[in-house]
Amino acid sequence: MSRIGVFVCHCGLNIAKTIRVSELAEFASTLPDVVVARDYRFMCSTPGQEMIANDIKEHRLDRVIVTACSPLMHEHTFRKVIEKAGLNQYLLTIVNIREQVSWVTSDIEEGTAKAKALLNGAVYRARLLSPLSSRVIDVNSDVMVVGGGIAGIQAALELANTGKKVYLVEKNSTIGGHMAQFDKTFPTLDCSACILTPKMDAVLQHPNITLMTYCEVSEVKGFVGNFDIKIRQKARYVNHDRCNACLACTEKCPGKGIAEWDEGLVKRKAIHIPFPQAVPQKPVIDREHCTFFLKGKCRLCEKVCEHKAIDFEQEDTFTEIKVGAVIVATGYNLMDTKPLVQYGYGKYPGVYSALEVERLFNSAGPTAGKVTMRDGKEPQAIAILHCIGSRDKNNYEHCSRVCCMYSLKFAHLFKEKTSADVYQFYIDIRAAGKGYEEFYNRIIEEDVKFIRGKVARVAESSDEPGRLIVEAEDTITGKFVKLPVDMVVLSPAMIPREDSKDIGRLFNLSTDKYGFFMERHPKLAPLATMSEGIFIAGVCQSPKDIPDTVAQANGAAAEALTIVSREKMELEATTAMVNPASCCGCQNCVRVCPYGAPSFNYEKGVSEINEALCKGCGLCASVCPTSAIIARHFTNEQVLAEIEGLMEF
Amino acid sequence: MTDFRQIENNLKKEAKRLLEAGEVAVVLAYGRGYDEKHPMPFAAKAIAHVESLVFNEYCNFNMARYLMRYPWGTKIAIAAKAADSRAIIQLVQEEKVRREDLVIMGIPAYGMKNQKTNEVIDSKTTGGLYNPVIYDILLGEEIHGQKIISPYEVLAEYEAMDKEERWAFWKKEFDKCIRCYACRKACPMCYCDPCFIDQNKPRWADKAPQSPGNMMYHLTRFHHLAGRCIDCGECSRACPVDIPLYLFHKKVAKECEEMFGQAAGMKLEDKPALVDFRVEDSDKILE
Amino acid sequence: MSFEPKILGIACNWCTYTGADLAGTTRLHYPQNLRVVRVMCSSRINPSFIFRAFQLGADGVLVGGCHPGDCHYNTGNLYARRRLAVTKKILEFAGLEPGRFRVEWISASEGNKFAEVVQEFTAQIKELGPQQKLKIEQLQEKA
Repeated sequence: MSRIGVFVCHCGLNIAKTIRVSELAEFASTLPDVVVARDYRFMCSTPGQEMIANDIKEHRLDRVIVTACSPLMHEHTFRKVIEKAGLNQYLLTIVNIREQVSWVTSDIEEGTAKAKALLNGAVYRARLLSPLSSRVIDVNSDVMVVGGGIAGIQAALELANTGKKVYLVEKNSTIGGHMAQFDKTFPTLDCSACILTPKMDAVLQHPNITLMTYCEVSEVKGFVGNFDIKIRQKARYVNHDRCNACLACTEKCPGKGIAEWDEGLVKRKAIHIPFPQAVPQKPVIDREHCTFFLKGKCRLCEKVCEHKAIDFEQEDTFTEIKVGAVIVATGYNLMDTKPLVQYGYGKYPGVYSALEVERLFNSAGPTAGKVTMRDGKEPQAIAILHCIGSRDKNNYEHCSRVCCMYSLKFAHLFKEKTSADVYQFYIDIRAAGKGYEEFYNRIIEEDVKFIRGKVARVAESSDEPGRLIVEAEDTITGKFVKLPVDMVVLSPAMIPREDSKDIGRLFNLSTDKYGFFMERHPKLAPLATMSEGIFIAGVCQSPKDIPDTVAQANGAAAEALTIVSREKMELEATTAMVNPASCCGCQNCVRVCPYGAPSFNYEKGVSEINEALCKGCGLCASVCPTSAIIARHFTNEQVLAEIEGLMEF
Repeated sequence: MTDFRQIENNLKKEAKRLLEAGEVAVVLAYGRGYDEKHPMPFAAKAIAHVESLVFNEYCNFNMARYLMRYPWGTKIAIAAKAADSRAIIQLVQEEKVRREDLVIMGIPAYGMKNQKTNEVIDSKTTGGLYNPVIYDILLGEEIHGQKIISPYEVLAEYEAMDKEERWAFWKKEFDKCIRCYACRKACPMCYCDPCFIDQNKPRWADKAPQSPGNMMYHLTRFHHLAGRCIDCGECSRACPVDIPLYLFHKKVAKECEEMFGQAAGMKLEDKPALVDFRVEDSDKILE
Repeated sequence: MSFEPKILGIACNWCTYTGADLAGTTRLHYPQNLRVVRVMCSSRINPSFIFRAFQLGADGVLVGGCHPGDCHYNTGNLYARRRLAVTKKILEFAGLEPGRFRVEWISASEGNKFAEVVQEFTAQIKELGPQQKLKIEQLQEKA
């Protein structure tokens, strides 16, 4: 016999509107072992919590059922409440009558009936719950940050400044990310490099940061507080301990590769640093374009290197790093717009993608900051096309959030650097941000022409060879526009990195349909993920501008700190165990466990589970033919009882 | 095909040799029963026992069933017809027995008989193979040239049934069950101790021989044997009320083979299909 | 009165249960016949849970897990896929209507898919009518 208390929350009208809460509480009091049942406006409020605590004492409750919102919202809150009142926290059951009942129906009869069934199931299950004790583990105080763009840099610096040791892992040969490609930043028009490069340098100099460029995460093991991460250092063919960054090698190198940093607008050497302010300031050899690797002869770089830093024998190496928490800040790509043939990218040389234009403006870029097109001419008329692939049901439904603003910035810079007419083709201008609307107004003043309409097609001009015709419907005048221009700038959708799904898999992160990482809660836990101890920041979560990215990075650093600033932490106690008396020695558990938690004791002829490795999925329990494995908190008896309870009403 | 009498002689000869040389501690084969029609599973542990060994058309027991009675390291010679050899492979996959402990005495055979019905045991009630899949020595010549009939052919009639008709068929069959558990006793793969049905925590089903408990017992047992049943048909021959359990097992085996691309007990290196997966398994299997 | 089926849902904590929450958060309405049991992973589902649910009177059973490849426990749902497929074949060969048991991969971001699946499945079960084959009629026969 147990003594159950049932607490039904109204959640204001959120629940009470479509469930008759007092009827539900009355119903609860008729259920087996229920000694007290109440309803209250807000169970999660202080008076609500006190009501539960008092009833536990007064009615000597040994089980508590809170009938309220999703357990993903308040399970933790109420566990603490009952624990404070002297009950083991695992004797709490949450019945989700908000997200899964009151919010998904408008019919109070249906809602009340379903809530009753769910509550009945919970009572059946609660009677069979057992107290569990949490495991206490040591916490590693170091943090890994994956991705060396502005988000990763910011998070790493924040953490390092608190005294924590940080590993910053970047797959390129330099940190800086996309921000290092930009010329100016909206709306203040301050120079991107001027604000970013001091931070890049601070990373390099910081005694608490281990910078790992040209590295990739290859394996993640362990769990919150104790991650074991294998890092692959890709072969650079340059010994960075010896290299003194004189860069003599890059001058002599005959090999030519695509300059990724300049968005492929020009070529770079096979041995190279991506851009002049790269950090670290030491080159790597791009094997695919190196004459020696291609033809077996050359080695010019080796000859000019006074420090004998060139090492063609170098191979990828692996390091294992232990950390307590991880911040994933892997950033974004721009959508490849070639498949959108109507815009002519890749077909007409006059069509540019946004990042290419950033490089044209940049004094360290391929044109040294002069706006000249692929044919060397300065454009006389420029069309900037918004929402290419984004806000588009056929491609990406999301708004990329920054394109309106950078398109305005482009307009300003075109005006500054050329005498061209600049046209914006937009759906609507989204200028929500500090100083953004003001910036928009300023650009309007600068004689930039705004045409509200999504461009249907970019075509070659038949009258003026080399010129382009932009075709769109101006939705304000309702007229069809055919505008001759020299240059077309596309603002493509921001999308996750091509390997975001792989990163997600490594770190056990869910992704949305486009591959952006899912946060634990869209509002209340935007930086945490479903994987305890792993946080996300920046555009890998969703498109955002630099200020928001930096704010997220700071937030993620603080979140990571809440873990690694503890010496010990409690882990969920919901692991599996073996009842050796029932084990038939089939070893199914050993065969299926992804974590190697069960092992077979050949001497005793039974399986044993290492609870430190168990993550509580329960797979072993369901493949165990003799029910010898007990998945704590989700035992066969508990699940069966719940099913029975649910099916009774 | 080698004459059964000749196989019996070879069995005795090999058993004697293996025991004499100390190569094995026990020979699992068939011994005399109360009449010729009822031979019994027999474990010869001494040379004196060898004379009691027999082999005839009624020797249809799956001797793999008895392997697990001996601890690892016990050297065992076992008489194995086709289905028995598959059971051995399956048990090796499941690490219940070790290949190195076994001397498999293969018996190619067709025309074994069901002593209850006197019917020939063919692909309708068993796996349809004539030769052992694995053996160390052969007690008769391998059989070739016999027509191979798919063990799943017999299912066509039942698959063609309307679901209502099929439900009525199985309901009637399972309602007959007296819960004697002869099926699991005869099954070489039913080595669980305790069996789920005997447990009280949780109590998966009613233990009384009534419809709901019977249904739960049989359906769950089919799942436990999915990808593991090697279609020897012993369960059905053991059943005192003649429930055609082999039909259900065959159906599950057929589905598993189609979905997972492997049949139970065919390769030592396979993993049992239900504790394995392939990333490229299709979602179609759920349709 | 029209037939209101009882449908058991078993949803994994990380994807489908969270997806169901999202359906709620975005106020997507769907029929209220589904009662969801939360488990940590779809691989926790013992086939006997499903047999038992039908015995206890479920007119349909809907299992929800993460998309293959996205399992919170890496490979749990890949085992679940095989085990549940076999469960389905067994039920079908016993003579149960195939449409009464369904497995769907619904991610944490697919609140709309959750609502759609529930809508569709409920309609399908209504069409099939009450499940009487496995259901235990007399209460005392329940284990």
